[in-house]
Amino acid sequence: MSILRLEHVSKDYITEGIPVAALRDVSLEAGRGEFVVVAGRSGCGKSTLLNLAGAMDFPTSGTVMLDGVATSSLGERGLTRLRREKVGFVFQSFQLLPTLSVVENVELPLMLAGRGDAREAALERLGWVEMDSYAARMPYQLSGGQMQRVAIARALVHSPALLLADEPTGNLDNATSDLILALLRRIANEKDTTILMATHNLEAAGAADTVIHLRDGCVQELHQPVKRKSAC
Amino acid sequence: MLTRAVLFHRLILRPLRREPVRTSLTAIAVALGIAAVLAIELAGEAAAGSFRSSMETLIGNVDFEVTATGGIPPEALARLAALPYAFKIHPRMEDYASIRATGRTVPLVGVDLVSESLGATTSDAAAFEHDDSVWAGSGLGYKMGDRVELLINDVSSEYTVRGVLGDRSGEAMVMDLAQATRVLHRSGRLDRILIEVPVGRSTEEWESLLRQALPEGVCVAPEGTRSDENRRMLAAFRWNLRVLSYISLAVGAFLIYNTISVSVVRRRFEIGILRALGATRGAVMAAFLGEAASFGLAGAAVGIVLGRLLAVGAVRLVAATVQSLYVSSRPAPILLTWDAAALAVVVGVGVSVVSALSPAWEASLVAPVEAMARGRREHEARVHRWRDLCVAVALAGGAWIASRQEPVSGKPMFGYFAAVLLLGASALAIPALVSGLSSASAGILRRLLGVEALLATRSLAGSLRRTSVLVGALSTAIAMLAAVGIMVGSFRQTVIVWMGDRLQADLFLRPAVPPGADRYPTMSAAIPDRLSRLPEVAAVDQFRAYEISYQGMPAILGGGEARIAGRYGNRPLVSGASPQSVFRQLVGTDTVIVSEPFANKHRVRAGDVLTLPLAGQRAAFRVIDVYYDYSNERGFIIMDRGTLLKYLPDPEPSNVAVYLKAGVPPDQGRRAVEAALSGHGVLVASNRSLREEAMRIFDRTFAITYALEAVAVFVAVMGVGGALLALVIDRRHEFALLRFLGGAGSQLRRMILFEAGLLGLLANVAGLILGFFLSLLLIYVINKQSFGWTIQFHWPVAVLVSALSVVYIATLLAGLYPARVATQLVPIDVIHEE
Repeated sequence: MSILRLEHVSKDYITEGIPVAALRDVSLEAGRGEFVVVAGRSGCGKSTLLNLAGAMDFPTSGTVMLDGVATSSLGERGLTRLRREKVGFVFQSFQLLPTLSVVENVELPLMLAGRGDAREAALERLGWVEMDSYAARMPYQLSGGQMQRVAIARALVHSPALLLADEPTGNLDNATSDLILALLRRIANEKDTTILMATHNLEAAGAADTVIHLRDGCVQELHQPVKRKSAC
Repeated sequence: MLTRAVLFHRLILRPLRREPVRTSLTAIAVALGIAAVLAIELAGEAAAGSFRSSMETLIGNVDFEVTATGGIPPEALARLAALPYAFKIHPRMEDYASIRATGRTVPLVGVDLVSESLGATTSDAAAFEHDDSVWAGSGLGYKMGDRVELLINDVSSEYTVRGVLGDRSGEAMVMDLAQATRVLHRSGRLDRILIEVPVGRSTEEWESLLRQALPEGVCVAPEGTRSDENRRMLAAFRWNLRVLSYISLAVGAFLIYNTISVSVVRRRFEIGILRALGATRGAVMAAFLGEAASFGLAGAAVGIVLGRLLAVGAVRLVAATVQSLYVSSRPAPILLTWDAAALAVVVGVGVSVVSALSPAWEASLVAPVEAMARGRREHEARVHRWRDLCVAVALAGGAWIASRQEPVSGKPMFGYFAAVLLLGASALAIPALVSGLSSASAGILRRLLGVEALLATRSLAGSLRRTSVLVGALSTAIAMLAAVGIMVGSFRQTVIVWMGDRLQADLFLRPAVPPGADRYPTMSAAIPDRLSRLPEVAAVDQFRAYEISYQGMPAILGGGEARIAGRYGNRPLVSGASPQSVFRQLVGTDTVIVSEPFANKHRVRAGDVLTLPLAGQRAAFRVIDVYYDYSNERGFIIMDRGTLLKYLPDPEPSNVAVYLKAGVPPDQGRRAVEAALSGHGVLVASNRSLREEAMRIFDRTFAITYALEAVAVFVAVMGVGGALLALVIDRRHEFALLRFLGGAGSQLRRMILFEAGLLGLLANVAGLILGFFLSLLLIYVINKQSFGWTIQFHWPVAVLVSALSVVYIATLLAGLYPARVATQLVPIDVIHEE
């Protein structure tokens, strides 16, 4: 069963009164445990695709199905609930809250969802990314690679079906990038989490099961098993 | 120069325009502070500027005035007239009359209409020979031939307006000297003689010459001395009011500091880039000081207009207090002069620039590489909190030492300095308080109120410096509110207790002419005798008051029935001695007791001897005790009525207190007294109604204080709103992230409101602690040294709880708009900014 399915999805933005197409007629499907990389130059629509996939935005046309639920059918409250349960986010600039400790950052999504087992789950996820010994530290005491591992732990704390990573290695050196990619690969394999990663770095795409090349909002090329239904 | 102006516009002013709400809030906060200062300045000038009332201006320019307690004996005029100089001498009778139809109290002046021309339009030359003739000041609106009923002392009569006086006459009602002497029962004694001297000698020479010519006990002083005395008397009142008005500006200063600090923190990257591109440290500092000056200028522009408008209300309140406590005067027109406007600009820009010095200096120290180290500033603020706490303790110690010092030229300068030190101590202790309370409460709040409370607590503790400045601003306003609230509440309670002791009589009588702090109308001497014969009456205490000048300051000389006051009354004494024994000592001896304000103002203690010029002689009186008094700030010298009559043999009392026999119902006693008073314009007040009236005047007196406090709190709450808005804008990434992590809009709103609530709570706690210590300063140092009153400390719990609740709710409301802004952020756009 597919965790994420996009059917003929288009997304337009209005910039200074002029409509700009960020995505055009994109369809794709990702199954459980699959590691999908969306590659392309800056401004090709990668982030827009991730936002639609993560129920942060609605498509102008087409359907986004997240674990069998069409995001367009939900209101603000439903979308929030869907994100809380199904989606984890990892960002290029880590986005850890500087005022919270490592473990407090990780348990944050569970707390926002009102769950009581936050600390236990957070420590477990920190163990997955080998950061459990840093639980009490503050973000400014960590290196970039360590911060990103904490961000990944946070994205996984509520056991999401889909992990969205937007340029997760963009701020890291090569060696650290390799470690983070290996970690994501391991998570997809071991935890059966679907990963959709946006990157402009083709080397980073080497860890993926499927690579989608975007250009000007269209799927230009697709490598390997993800089933592409159509392209413009 | 032009290039710098362009750069200043691009780098400083343009970003301010991008956040119009926050920029406006800061500018308005400064404007309100300036408006409060300007309004009090203008109102103080207007309320005190009318001492040269129609009493003084009626004649025009004169050189000297001659006065004597109890009236100038007739031989003084004869001696002056006999001097071989070309003096112009203007004998005067002066009092007040109440116009029955309007209830308006106006000066009543008796002049020698035969020899003096007052520029009057008059019906016939002999009009002043009629018994019912008056001439109306041009400001009263009467015309020739009008009939007017005047209440003079306790007698009401109808008069005919025989003419209207010239332009300088204002609101005076004038009658002929002879007629005034009859109406006012002055028995030939004059109230004042004004003298114009010829040129050729110095003022000092003329004064010396006149003094030698006049009998002992008659005073001569250059014209305007009385106005100067009144001004000196009002100085402490105006000074304290002025200090209060600066509180709003001080709160505004905190907010400027916060705004510029935020500006610096936000632009560390920009500053780094500019430094790398060649900007000097001086240029960076000047840019941020320029930003502060812009707020000051904008605030001054709005503040001048607002201050002029607020002055209209303020002058009413200030004038009422001046009338009640100090001197009869009508407020002069409010004059917004260039000087006052310049003061507003200088104060506004000056305070803004000084407030911004620290953050601007910090900005100048930013190195390009340092600009990349995010979070470092907050970390440094946290590290220094213990050091700051130690400095705070030292400042508090300094405040304690300063509070023990004597006043400087009658002003509690060290008291104010102690207050400033306490404010500094509080500002420095706040980071530790915020940090301590945040860590202590984070766990509890999280358990009780959820993740939003935890995030709010951590956010406040994380932005320690900014939080501390906000808490500092709000707590300063709350502290002043609490301090003044405690002081006024304590004062009120002290007065209530004092009145319980002091006002033992059942009924109090006074002439129906409205009283003033410097007006002592009298009633018929027959009244006390008539009352004491009533079967319901146990005793009658009659009191006569005279306005005197003691050591260049106005004071009140009074005489009461010491035997009766000792037997029935209970005047609390500072020494703790029994009032009965002290009053017994007053009988038949040249001894006096003085009120506490008089004792403190003139540094008089029991055992001292006062020399008073009385009716042609200088008489010495030994002070045997000091009594607590809260009815007048001028201060009383009280002697036995018998002693007073020995020197000033005018039997008419100013006030009469009636003690009813045991078992006589107050209403029955009152009816009997009123029946005995028929035909006299005398008001009878019961013990209860007198107390109620006193408290009404008390509350009115402090209305201006509360108004100023309200402005300060309003400024602070607005500042919190603006600062929370800045916080939301700065932390938009955090809010966007929370949305990505599953946070709902309602959770963000709760989080901001929690932050506002926590800020309010911290400010209330800090403000209450600081306010308590400031109230001790106000009660035991500043008030004591300014006005000389002993106030017993009292917690006005209800007032404090309601005031602090209002502030707390206002702070929460101030968080609503920033919360709305936070929930309306589009997470994708915000994250995409990076």
